[in-house]
Amino acid sequence: MTTTLLAIPAIPLAVFLILFLLRPRKGGDWLAILGMAVSFLLSLRVAVPVLSQGQILSTPSLPWLAFPKGLDVPAFALSLGIRLDPMGTVMLLIVTGLSLAVLVYSTWYLHGDRCYTRFFGHFSFFAFAMMGIVLSDNLLMTFIFWELVGVGSYLLIGYWSDKPAVADDSFYQGMKAKYATGILESKLSPAHAQLKAFVMNRVGDFGFLAGLSIFAWVSLAGGIQGNPLSWEHLRLAVASGAFDHVAFAGLSGTGLLTLAGIFVFLGAMGKSAQFPLHTWLPDAMQGPTTASAIIHAATMVAAGVFLTARMLPFLTPDALLFVSWIGAITAFLAATIALVQWDFKAVLAYSTISQLGYMMIGLGAGAETGGYSAGLSHLFTHALFKCLLFLGAASVIHGCGNHQDMNRFGGLWKKMPWTAATTGLATLAICGLPFFSSFWSKDALIASALLAAQGRSGHMAAWLAWGPWAFSVLTAALTCFYMTRQWSLTFLGTARDPEVTAHAHDPWPRAKVVLFVLALFTFQFVWTGSLNPFGASSWLDGALAPLFPVDGVSEALRHHAHLQTMELSVLMAFFGIGLSLFLYRKGPMTKSVKPLWSLFANLWFIDRLWDLLWVEGFGKRGGRLVATADLGSSERLTRLETRPPLSPSIDGVVDGIARLAGVLGGLLGRLQNGRSVAYVGYATLILGLLALFLVI
Amino acid sequence: MIDLLLSGPEALTPYLVVSAALFACGVLACATRRNAVGYLMGIELMLNAAALDFVAYGRFRTPLEAGQGQVFALFVVVLAAAEAAVALALVYSVYRTFHDIDLEKTTTLGARR
Repeated sequence: MTTTLLAIPAIPLAVFLILFLLRPRKGGDWLAILGMAVSFLLSLRVAVPVLSQGQILSTPSLPWLAFPKGLDVPAFALSLGIRLDPMGTVMLLIVTGLSLAVLVYSTWYLHGDRCYTRFFGHFSFFAFAMMGIVLSDNLLMTFIFWELVGVGSYLLIGYWSDKPAVADDSFYQGMKAKYATGILESKLSPAHAQLKAFVMNRVGDFGFLAGLSIFAWVSLAGGIQGNPLSWEHLRLAVASGAFDHVAFAGLSGTGLLTLAGIFVFLGAMGKSAQFPLHTWLPDAMQGPTTASAIIHAATMVAAGVFLTARMLPFLTPDALLFVSWIGAITAFLAATIALVQWDFKAVLAYSTISQLGYMMIGLGAGAETGGYSAGLSHLFTHALFKCLLFLGAASVIHGCGNHQDMNRFGGLWKKMPWTAATTGLATLAICGLPFFSSFWSKDALIASALLAAQGRSGHMAAWLAWGPWAFSVLTAALTCFYMTRQWSLTFLGTARDPEVTAHAHDPWPRAKVVLFVLALFTFQFVWTGSLNPFGASSWLDGALAPLFPVDGVSEALRHHAHLQTMELSVLMAFFGIGLSLFLYRKGPMTKSVKPLWSLFANLWFIDRLWDLLWVEGFGKRGGRLVATADLGSSERLTRLETRPPLSPSIDGVVDGIARLAGVLGGLLGRLQNGRSVAYVGYATLILGLLALFLVI
Repeated sequence: MIDLLLSGPEALTPYLVVSAALFACGVLACATRRNAVGYLMGIELMLNAAALDFVAYGRFRTPLEAGQGQVFALFVVVLAAAEAAVALALVYSVYRTFHDIDLEKTTTLGARR
């Protein structure tokens, strides 16, 4: 079993290395697909014992770094190992399965592309990195693969890295909607987007590393032997009260645990695009749409939710409240932005952010309200239908000659029935109608948020306790509105711009198969194993149970909350869908509530604020300041001079010292003129001075 | 007078005076002579001044039978002879390079091309 476990991530890595080092001209795509298929089948094989018997598979830990006993730290060792529990198994199946689906789809979507084979290599690496996170048995290994996922996303987002910024892209300028605002058009390019994704993730990773360090330190101080960061040892450290015996920055016990938890969650906020670190995800669509499909579904953004779920047993109530609120703000903010997007893919991008916010609301509700299992099940169902939506988007955009403006689509139903039907199913799924997957996962989420709010309301201000739940209900309606708007504007009605849609067509048969298979997973019974939409239990229950059993809230309360939520969310769904169909019955709206519209269309000005604050302010101004201090003037950054003028700066001082040495050398050099008479004079002079010195 | 020169601790002074005068002559020769051979002679004078000091100190400041100063003087003489041979060879080499042994004109390590 160890070999199988190791082979699952090793095969995509090997594929990547082969494609990266040997750079075959042909066949790279099928090699990647074959590798991923083998990985998927092996995952299925290990999934059977794990899911049916609740067995936890693991490999022996590989010692990596051993540290001797220090002054005030005991000896410890960092190790790498695989640990596969039921929750990780489902995630592993989704990562390998969706990667396989997207790879097959990409053979159609990217056919004829200039760097076709490279995509498959980088994609395999990306999948390998994500598998590392899923399989890791300790927090440090998670962090390592966390960074590798960042590298993978960097490579995929910048797939067309030589494409110009959209401001210089004449096709984009002709294609975009007239009112296109919000994105920083002068800067947006694949090369910029990949850098932005990486840098914004670094902000979160700083927190992750800080949290990881606190956990490691406390766990060592608590007398843990071996790897201080393995899940088991972390649990031991927290349970044994190691946090009570140490103090950091005036915090100890629960306070310190809260701090460490929030720090680690910062990392998840970066990867899972949570407010305020969400702005990289929409820009990341500069990569190929199929790359977006995997980033938004199974790999990159799922990593943050997965990590938060893994860390959930260690999060204190305060940290959970923080998680809930971040999720709530993200879900609501992104949903409002998605309402007014013109770009077909941008709606999906903001919808992903919003749904990730949902998962965080669920996880923040805690394990005892069922939020843990609800958050995870939404992660799983969302992965499938969001992947389908993005693959559908790839089909639409490919069919419409790379046009992305929904205002110009319309009536595509007849031209691409497969795409329309499968995307329609996914839209219903994300709306959370009965019989569709999100009805099961999202309602459980909202119910757990309700239970958590009821539980919290005694301890804190009402708005603080009820906020996440209120936002989650509101967002449910918004989700239905924007998704229906997107689907109806694209596929219903008549063709508004025949030039754009004239040649639209369904993809190749193999891509249709992918769409069809993914569409199956939009139905609830695939996930719950029962046709009854109101049944709460599922065959996945084992995988969704919290790692460490907790006392749940009473069955009656939970049942009541579920009933209430169901009524409310179905009402919200129908309200959102109905309003959207009504408002967009004749194509795009011409009137809008101006201030609100511009707030949403400008992305709440968050992108602009970040640009102003960090890029223009901190980056450019600060850079200029540093350049002035360093070189004397910022202009000198851009040109190379052999003999710059002296200036009061660091560089000036260094140059000055060098020049002083030069001048002194010139002066002293004159003494050494080669005339022996002069040397005799010097010698005599010095001898005389010495004699004088001795006499006196 | 002879007695005075050959006995007593204060008998040293006249030797030192002569030695200093000899040394000064050497320095003066080095400082003023433009001819390399003249310069060498100046150096020889300075060496001999030092040798004279050795002999004088050996005679008046150490037990006579030790004879250390005198031995040093012998060394100085031998070394001076060797040094003169080397120096004359150098002078010859300088002459071959510069076609001159005027020290004012030979201020570089090689002939200017």
